[in-house]
Amino acid sequence: MATDVRSAAGSDVSVEREALAWMDDPYAHFGSSVTAMQSLDRDHVEAVQLAGLNMRLADRREKIRTLGKLADAQGIGTLASIDDVAPLMFRHDIYKSYPVSLLAKQRFDQLSTWLSRLTPYDCSQLDVSHCQSIDEWLTVIQAETPLDVATSSGSSGTCSFFPKSKKDYLFFAKSIRPQLLQTFGEAASDADLHDKIHVLTPLHRDGHAASGRTGQYLKQAFAFGDDAYFHPCFDHKVSADLQWLAARVRAAAAKGDATRVDVPPALLARRAEWEAEQKDMPAQQTEFLLRKTRELAGQRVLSMGMTIMLHSVAKRGLADGLRSAFGAGSQVMGGGGAKGVVLPPDHKQVICDFFGAERMRVAYGMTELNTMLLNCEHDRYHLLPWVIPYLLDLETGQPLPRKGRQQGRAAFFDLSQDGTWGGVVSGDLATIDWDTPCACGRVPVAVEIDIQRLSELQGGDDKITCAAQPAAHAEAMDFLTGTGG
Amino acid sequence: MSIQPISYAVIRGKVIDTDLIEFGGRGGDITFLAPDPHTLVDQLPLGSSTRMQDLYELSFEQILDYLEELGQRLDINSNEHMRAARELSYATAPTTKPILDAYYASMPVMFDRERIRGSTDFTIGIPYLEGWVEQPINGSNVSIRAYGSRALHIVAGNGPVVGALSILRGAVTRSDTMIKVPSNDPFTTGAIARTMCDFAPDHPITRHVSVAYWRGGDEAFEARLYQPHNIEKIIAWGGFASVKHVTKYIQPGLELISLDPKRSASIVGAEGVENDAMLQEAAVRIATDVGTGNQTACSSCRIVYVMCGTDDDGIEKLKRLGQLTYDAILALPSDLSTMPKRYDPELKSNVDALRLNDDWYTVIGGENGEGAVIVSHTSDLVDFFEYLNDRTVNLVPVDTIDEVLDAVDAYTQTVGVFPDNLADELRHQVALAGGQRLVSLGYAFNGPGLVGPQDGIEPMRRMVKWIVSERPQAHVKPLWELAEGESALVA
Repeated sequence: MATDVRSAAGSDVSVEREALAWMDDPYAHFGSSVTAMQSLDRDHVEAVQLAGLNMRLADRREKIRTLGKLADAQGIGTLASIDDVAPLMFRHDIYKSYPVSLLAKQRFDQLSTWLSRLTPYDCSQLDVSHCQSIDEWLTVIQAETPLDVATSSGSSGTCSFFPKSKKDYLFFAKSIRPQLLQTFGEAASDADLHDKIHVLTPLHRDGHAASGRTGQYLKQAFAFGDDAYFHPCFDHKVSADLQWLAARVRAAAAKGDATRVDVPPALLARRAEWEAEQKDMPAQQTEFLLRKTRELAGQRVLSMGMTIMLHSVAKRGLADGLRSAFGAGSQVMGGGGAKGVVLPPDHKQVICDFFGAERMRVAYGMTELNTMLLNCEHDRYHLLPWVIPYLLDLETGQPLPRKGRQQGRAAFFDLSQDGTWGGVVSGDLATIDWDTPCACGRVPVAVEIDIQRLSELQGGDDKITCAAQPAAHAEAMDFLTGTGG
Repeated sequence: MSIQPISYAVIRGKVIDTDLIEFGGRGGDITFLAPDPHTLVDQLPLGSSTRMQDLYELSFEQILDYLEELGQRLDINSNEHMRAARELSYATAPTTKPILDAYYASMPVMFDRERIRGSTDFTIGIPYLEGWVEQPINGSNVSIRAYGSRALHIVAGNGPVVGALSILRGAVTRSDTMIKVPSNDPFTTGAIARTMCDFAPDHPITRHVSVAYWRGGDEAFEARLYQPHNIEKIIAWGGFASVKHVTKYIQPGLELISLDPKRSASIVGAEGVENDAMLQEAAVRIATDVGTGNQTACSSCRIVYVMCGTDDDGIEKLKRLGQLTYDAILALPSDLSTMPKRYDPELKSNVDALRLNDDWYTVIGGENGEGAVIVSHTSDLVDFFEYLNDRTVNLVPVDTIDEVLDAVDAYTQTVGVFPDNLADELRHQVALAGGQRLVSLGYAFNGPGLVGPQDGIEPMRRMVKWIVSERPQAHVKPLWELAEGESALVA
């Protein structure tokens, strides 16, 4: 998009040029070196970020109708500081703000129009009249536009459509590789940059759901597209329609009548298919991980999954006498809620002992970001320079001061976003210490590891009311299940 | 050093203000002091249910005498405990000062003698409380009497009336009443109980009322108290979390009467949007059920289905209704409704996001935290309908009544209907779909009060124990005199 960018009046050309590079291909700009990415002086980084924000705003307000409306309504022109963009960031749930009956009635033409309001890529003119399902609709968009829309279905029963572009997805996968493989402070080795690494995931080969589609891009970033290095548990595409159906069924049951599920009849007829697929899924995943770990013994592997699952696999594997299965430089990445299970204090060691990783990595990310954050040696999530972090006051939504130790609603502006505007307000409560440098030596500020979902923090303070409140479930982290913070 | 407010415990005529520890204070709430519940836990239970005999030495009229006097003494103009509680409740209550003032001012009306007599007779039947009511049936003379129980009330705090109601219901049913107050209303019920201690410390009704605060979910405390030898019934108001954590103590001998968390919706028929006069009337009725008490109650209207159709003409009518409703909400008198105390920031950002989504929704108001009307352009609720609060209502156009019924479920309490004749057509279907109360739109808070059923059950009839005493009629042959093959053992 570089050619479309207008120069913000009075800004420094070299700073703008650097901002453009971060926005266009940060990995090329930094030579994919994590040390280069995380050693820049903070003042300089903020100057480049501000220039980037102004260029993004000037460009995208013309192309993303919703952003244009919001910026006009707020009377915002040029941003004088990084904080000035806060009122223009979109809440994560704007990506499910369509009337749900459009899905039930399969009005994919209208859904295309809705989606086009949130992305610079127009899909409103696509012929989707033949589409009978979400999967078909998104396949058309994938084939005809730069977009590769990511879906996820949460506990409320709605399906969100995040207009990621193919470039966004690839950047996302690319953000993981250097952080996982390279040692901060050392030059990236040729192997770290260029070796094919096996990717082992207990999820699906493909699909429009972010959990399925991400695998294809991890395959690009870690194995340069070589299918022989990509090992998903399920060899088919996960169906966005079936995931939505499952969410609708759950929502209907929660309302006290599991028979009233508002989806097209053809989809409802596939309910048994979904239930069959779900049956024994955790057992299949455990067996798969055990089997593959033996097959790939000695190789350099990235394995990922929910920490609980990785732990049970590791315990069984160790009991069977398999230890340090994978080759040098292998990585294991866990995450996900414990769902009431208390893991033993040594669970990370057990997992590392089995898979043969030096330390267990955990990641924090969301579909709406192009950049995954990985824990450093001191368990903090350091930012990469093109991602601007914000903590917002829970009451007012105003940015908290960028100094001292602060806790608030996490929001991010990812300057590398191509398919959307880039600013997203999350549903997470996070903490940042803006002033104290981390002992790991990385310069950028870091988000502390203890991140909670705001929806889970409500309703627990003994205020009793007869009026129904939203059930405080965690949204299913339908995205790289297991790697969410 | 500032003086922290106290949530007094009152146990059977004795006011307790020692062993104070601090509670509350989460998310910017005020902190308050209350007696350490662990020092109270063994004093709270009555012990034996035979100790309720003193209540049976009172006639129903004597109970009314007591309640009538209590009502008079709760007059906010002369009762220092109530004035102090009201002052402190401004900080804890979800509503604003004018609304809270109105609740406190109305307290004596709740204790009106004839009102209590009428509702008790309507709901249980005074003869069943006063003695044995005998009726012949299936060859027996069957006598039935309603006995009080040892009951714990876990009360809601969205309005300061549930504690008073629990005391009142406990008295007329001759129950032993224990009240756990919530952190959003920790002062009012204690003030009522202190008033009782002042004017009649040794009266049986006073001696069968206890009020205390403990943090809901305090397992060590609750596991000790919530035992069948201490409590026979738990009446839990609302709050999913508060009801949910009580369920683990339920066992034979300890019954849960659960007033589940609910929400309410309304229906405006096609006639209701036929002309401007009807639109005006529908708007003011919607505004009343939305705005009263600032929409904190389960019976507060949050969603209105309007049978205006989903074509352009229908949507234009609905927008007009939306504007009229918004204007009517702002025009409500301040003892019913005011600018909300705090507009939920989560809700605000959801509403603001819809403002940008003007293909599908029209948002009227809401920019200054005063409340908002959200007009859907399709037959869809807003995604965040569960969060609608602080005078925020969603008007939803529908083409058919079936679409409305699809939205009624077991969480639906009050369904306001306009015009009235639509209710005759709808109430059977609403009931089958799960709805529990139909009212004339605009009258959700202006009906008979909490008499008879609530949330599909009759809490007062559940509060009492129904005891039966049977005697055979003269013509019935005893089993021992029947020849083999003559007897019929049936349930």
